[in-house]
Amino acid sequence: MMAAPIISSCAGCTRSSRLLSLSHRLSHLQQRRQSQLSPSAILSKPTWSVRSLLDSPSSSQDADTPKITSAQLHHLLRLSALPPPSSPVEEASMIKTLQSQLHFVRAIQQVDTTDVKPLSSIRDETAAGLEEMTIGLDQLKDALEAEEIRGHCRRPRRKRDVPVDTAGVEDWDALAGASEKAGKYFIVRSAKGMEDVS
Amino acid sequence: MARIPTTELGRYLLLGQINRQGCLRRRPFQLATATSIGQLRRVSSSVGAPTSSVPTSPTTAPLRKQLKDQAKLLKASGHKKKKNVDNQTVPGWELTVGIEIHAQLNTSRKLFSAAATSFNDSPNSHVAPFDLAIPGSQPIFQPETLIPAVRAALALNCEIQHTSRFDRKHYFHWDQPAGYQITQFYEPFARNGYIELMSRDGIAAQDGQGIRVGIQQVQLEQDTAKTTAQPDGVQWLDFNRVGVPLIEIITRPEIHHPATAAALVRKVQVLLNSVDACVSGMETGGLRADVNVSVRRTDDATAGLGTRTEIKNLSSFKAVEDAIIAERDRQIAVLEAGGVIAGETRGWSLGSTETRRLRGKEGEVDYRYMPDPDLGPVVIDPKLVEYLASSSGVRPDDETDELIHKHGLTAKDAISLLMLDNGARVQYFYNVLDALDARLGNASCETIVGQPASTLAANWCLHELGKLTEVSSDLDMTPDGECRIRSADLAAILYHLMRKEITAKVARELLWSVYREDISRGGVTDAIAAGDLWFHELSEAEYTALADTVLRGEEKIVAEFTRHAEGKSKQYPQGKLMFLVGKVMRAGPEQRMDPASVERTLKARIDQVCVPGVQTQG
Repeated sequence: MMAAPIISSCAGCTRSSRLLSLSHRLSHLQQRRQSQLSPSAILSKPTWSVRSLLDSPSSSQDADTPKITSAQLHHLLRLSALPPPSSPVEEASMIKTLQSQLHFVRAIQQVDTTDVKPLSSIRDETAAGLEEMTIGLDQLKDALEAEEIRGHCRRPRRKRDVPVDTAGVEDWDALAGASEKAGKYFIVRSAKGMEDVS
Repeated sequence: MARIPTTELGRYLLLGQINRQGCLRRRPFQLATATSIGQLRRVSSSVGAPTSSVPTSPTTAPLRKQLKDQAKLLKASGHKKKKNVDNQTVPGWELTVGIEIHAQLNTSRKLFSAAATSFNDSPNSHVAPFDLAIPGSQPIFQPETLIPAVRAALALNCEIQHTSRFDRKHYFHWDQPAGYQITQFYEPFARNGYIELMSRDGIAAQDGQGIRVGIQQVQLEQDTAKTTAQPDGVQWLDFNRVGVPLIEIITRPEIHHPATAAALVRKVQVLLNSVDACVSGMETGGLRADVNVSVRRTDDATAGLGTRTEIKNLSSFKAVEDAIIAERDRQIAVLEAGGVIAGETRGWSLGSTETRRLRGKEGEVDYRYMPDPDLGPVVIDPKLVEYLASSSGVRPDDETDELIHKHGLTAKDAISLLMLDNGARVQYFYNVLDALDARLGNASCETIVGQPASTLAANWCLHELGKLTEVSSDLDMTPDGECRIRSADLAAILYHLMRKEITAKVARELLWSVYREDISRGGVTDAIAAGDLWFHELSEAEYTALADTVLRGEEKIVAEFTRHAEGKSKQYPQGKLMFLVGKVMRAGPEQRMDPASVERTLKARIDQVCVPGVQTQG
């Protein structure tokens, strides 16, 4: 609405002027809209709360989610090298906690990730970064010089008499932290039948 | 059902007698009769012959038949082990085998730490903080491990991936401090290769002339610590081996016979050795194979592969073949009895007849593979791959082909030569051949001695050298192809032999003298001259005279030749000819006679003079 040529002060700023032009007003309109979209505006009101997944754990889960059995719990504890539950009460509470954790996981799995490659780590994916990571003949120059061609069939053989500089790597007392040792060996005490796991 | 003793079986089949021990029925009639008769005898003096319900033993069967029947029984009830060669297939069943091979890479440093690799060094002397998973330590990928890894993958004809990533394989064991092994599960550095196996590599006869087995992928991974078991459940740990780079080679399930599986593992070892990728062989633990075995009926082609079991702890090529045969037989027995194969992990030990269960389904480990966030991707420059491909030398198959086609060896001899002394014997052969060719120059002596220089040298390097010692390591063969007998000296002996300046017998004696260092280096020709060992062959006329002398007394044998010439006997009497050769050799100065020449002369005399002579007479 066009302002009358009266002295008034602008709502959006402290300027007072005889002429509050349309463009000035428009700019303040834009600023107000932007302040509604500003990060602080966006973040001031939560759109989702973790509590939404905690509320009614039993009702929404009963329907079609598979229950965690005692055998599954024990299997998971064995895989994680954690001690088994000491009483049925503790086991029930572990299962309950696990079920609600899985409820969270299922909520996350609702997100559609077709054709999206999972991020495994954040690294420099620019062309320059990739070039820096590339292993080529320059990086392996020393190692390639440490081999010779032998025999009638001209085959490569690594020279065994080249000394390997391990300064700063091997010169520490590896056995210092061992609670039990036998000469230069670490000691582990095993239960019967534990020899072959892998 | 328990095995019935052969004596009992024999008594039943041959004599109709059954052992009634433990039977619920009453004792047979004749025993009661006997006792009652006995009692009767005591009471009265009448004697009655006891009736016997046992049929009389067949007195008519001859002894030979009885022995034959007993032998048949023995064979039927005993365990006669089939030879592996005859046990490659079971009618009605198809075997499928997939193999996973772990080979220790030949590098100077470990995979994720700069500590040095070693073999049998003082325990825990080459350990970096990351190898012990000290909190806060990080993995640092050592790029030089790519050199043997990429060469190995190229030897297996794989496609090297530009980018590959590392993953964690989680399981707890004391020989793995971090609680996970870093491997390449999702994105390995090499895929889609193949190995060509030929009949000369020792595949099963049922696989024909050759078979191509696909390689699914080759991946880099870490090795675990060395454990030494002590009494009372104590384990001694040496972490020198933790983090040493391994490659895992996974084949596609395209193998269908046990001998082919063993041949594949052997060929992989040969290929890895040729590009210097692996540290040591299967016997010393540098190469380990895990085998996946499944069976299915041949008439059920639509059904997928059967459930597979994994066999671990195989420590030799023969064990691979034996274990696969034992597991196949076990699975067939279970399926034929109506059972179901459980997907489990089994073990095999030397001398067993069956695999044993190591871990069942309930003990199955879920590895929870996850990309390792501490390590970046491995990006390999294609120029590096090109360089490594071009600097790998001659491939083992090409070398074998050259030995067979260019040098004229048989396939068996070529393979033997390549296997002996870890590849040093074939280097020795090349050295001897070079020296021999240099001496012979342009002159071809093939017609004199009947075989080319290369086959003569190969025969001597393989067989004559082998006759000198009990153990081939006594020859002190160096990897460059020199041993206690210098290649130049052997070449000198063979040179004189080829020019017929010495006989084979003298040549062998010279070899023995050189081995015992009775002849100094380079002194072969002088030794021959000094001992006057030159071969002064008899002239043609002298040979003929000797031949005539011997033939004069052998009318009967000449008659045999006449009969052949007239067509009355089909085969040329070669044996009789050799007998005559022996007689002539004994008749004249043996050191001046060459058996081949004697044979030739005799044959000529018989064909031209004696046979027509007899024919004109008769």
